[in-house]
Amino acid sequence: MTNILDDYALMSPLRHRNNWLKLAIVLFGLLAGISSTSPVTPLFIAFCMGFTTVALGRAPLKLYLKLLLAPIGFAVTGVLIIAFFSGSGQELLSFKLMGYPVSLRKDGLELALLVLSRSLSGMCCLYFLVLTTPMIELFAVLKATRLPESFIELSMLIYRYIFVFLGMAISIRYAQTVRLGYSSFSRSLRSLGMLGSTLFVRSWEQGDKLFLAMNSRCYDGKMTLFEVHRPVRVPELLLTSAYFLLTLALLYLTKNASIV
Amino acid sequence: MHIMEGFLATPWWQLWFAVSIPAILYGIYKMNRLVKEKREILPLLAVAGAFIFVLSALKLPSVNGSCSHPTGTGIAAIIFGPAISAVLGTIVLLYQALFLAHGGLTTLGANVFSMGIVGPLVAYLIYKAGMRANLNFYAVVFLATAFGDWTTYLITTAELALAYPASDVLTLGGFLSSFKKFALIFAVTQAPLAIMEGAVSALLFKYVVNVKSDILVEMKVIEASVARKLRGTPA
Repeated sequence: MTNILDDYALMSPLRHRNNWLKLAIVLFGLLAGISSTSPVTPLFIAFCMGFTTVALGRAPLKLYLKLLLAPIGFAVTGVLIIAFFSGSGQELLSFKLMGYPVSLRKDGLELALLVLSRSLSGMCCLYFLVLTTPMIELFAVLKATRLPESFIELSMLIYRYIFVFLGMAISIRYAQTVRLGYSSFSRSLRSLGMLGSTLFVRSWEQGDKLFLAMNSRCYDGKMTLFEVHRPVRVPELLLTSAYFLLTLALLYLTKNASIV
Repeated sequence: MHIMEGFLATPWWQLWFAVSIPAILYGIYKMNRLVKEKREILPLLAVAGAFIFVLSALKLPSVNGSCSHPTGTGIAAIIFGPAISAVLGTIVLLYQALFLAHGGLTTLGANVFSMGIVGPLVAYLIYKAGMRANLNFYAVVFLATAFGDWTTYLITTAELALAYPASDVLTLGGFLSSFKKFALIFAVTQAPLAIMEGAVSALLFKYVVNVKSDILVEMKVIEASVARKLRGTPA
């Protein structure tokens, strides 16, 4: 799954746009979504980001919806808890669950919808970044910030090795499955332990090899990256500012709005 | 258990960032010192981080219908100590947010606090205490990982309960009532998972001891005498 996301980012036409502009759009979306007090603004942000990712970034719509569906499941569980357990206003619905009285209140429902929409807008912003910007471009951006050198270096190495080990883990798991390693509960626990330990030992050996390979190529704790200079074009700037202004206007207009 | 993007409103996500950042900085400071001392450690840390990510991407067999994944931070804490686990945990959580949409950028601070800082710290303390008390190594690994996980869930619950107290304003009673409700729901799904992760971690260490116990001795996870005893060879 991880493989696929970065592949789409590499193919996306938006890859060749300015990285800082994309980051600014994402951060603005995240902050505006989180500080909104009505679900309207986050939904607007989610729609804009989704549209940009699919229409301009050429991410397949089917894949995009599938990607959104997975975390939505988690979000809905959390939101249901909030909907049923918080709030003190007017009761909309109440029933008994295993002897406990459960009730849905007006302000609880409103809060739950708000949180769900915020979560959705945040995910759309994240997917916009992930599906249009390959990690390697983000590293170049990170290098330009003042984050500690070793932290960035470590993240780059980790990123590289995630793919190596993921491939390894998938093939081991496949080999275990065809040998009925996951046919019962206790067997699957044992198989998982074996898989983890093999992965651990192999990754350790890989680490030794990596150190040797990098050392023999004069590694001194710094990997230099080539950052392509991509100026922000006027239409991009106009579109972005229109989006920012619209979002801010919505944020202001829906300050006291309530939809339930 | 990750807190999703957008779940923490304005004062709370900044607060957890403010709490987490000093710990991460301390971890980076410790890591820099370690790297200066032993240069070969950086690639090792990198593969360990990737290992944690891959481990957390594997699904555990489900007990009650819910499918979840190991956090892997307990293992990291036992091998590298809590300070470095915080740095590795931060990077892994960042990648999880970006690639798997587990967690998020604004909730990163809260997630790092529960999963990268407090959980590993508890796991590490239990591990150290257990080894000092001369308990069985695998039992100690099991306990450390399981309790580390449970602590992570408790902290996550507290973070959510603080952001969503039962009453409109934050009071102790409202916090406690909401804490109880969130904890009840997590207890059903997450408590068995922690036990499973403990079991898998103990098995993992068992195989590592059998195949390559010198790694663990070298990282000062276990004493050479313990390793020999575990493998069954006379000292």
